[in-house]
Amino acid sequence: MNSFLNTIITNGILLDAFGMIGLCLLGIAAVKLARRYQSWGGTMMAVGAIFLLVARLFMMLSPHFMNDDILSMIGPVGISLTIALPVLLLSFGLAGIVWGLWGHERWVQEGSR
Amino acid sequence: MNFVIHSPLASIEAVRPVFMVVMGTFLMVIAWRLCKSADGWAARLIVAGALLLGIGYAVLVPLYETGAIARFSPKAQTISNSAMFWQAMKQVVMNSGWLLFGLGLAIHAKVFSPTTPALELSKSPQNELVS
Repeated sequence: MNSFLNTIITNGILLDAFGMIGLCLLGIAAVKLARRYQSWGGTMMAVGAIFLLVARLFMMLSPHFMNDDILSMIGPVGISLTIALPVLLLSFGLAGIVWGLWGHERWVQEGSR
Repeated sequence: MNFVIHSPLASIEAVRPVFMVVMGTFLMVIAWRLCKSADGWAARLIVAGALLLGIGYAVLVPLYETGAIARFSPKAQTISNSAMFWQAMKQVVMNSGWLLFGLGLAIHAKVFSPTTPALELSKSPQNELVS
């Protein structure tokens, strides 16, 4: 059991890549929906997917390039931004996707009536 | 429950888990409403992905945010089995949830199918010249 958990955690980058591919597909689908049907739900979903992608990329990459030099260069405001921005992006990204999906769902329901 | 941190009411730390629970539940409900009249792989993938994401956002992330689950950190000297289990569960649930949801929505939006039907392309000017 323990070795199984170990494999999942050590292969975290693979799972993260799956999540990123899913978000990219979501973004492409949302852009396509927005362009083809002019539905605002698609635009909201695309914005949400981009927010989530940016936040996840930052959270994946920041341990590799963040060191004391960069932290002292960006100063206290920058450090608080690096803490606050990913959380805000993750929250607003999720809200955008849910809101956009709701808009698209209403559009589909109205179209089927 | 030694890990529970009591944050003041209506602070951002206290609101975020509630926000996540609401969003996760909404995502599941909307995906189900979108797909209840449809069948096929797109609907199945969207519902499966939304269910996984709903579990992730409505259960796992709030538990982490409130501190009910110990956070996993690879630099720690001793890693408890439960922290490892929850971390593995979170990784699998969230990432496969986004993958399935994205794939389902991409099929729903017809990203993979060509925009022009193949039949229209078969008619070429050379055929017209011959006839």
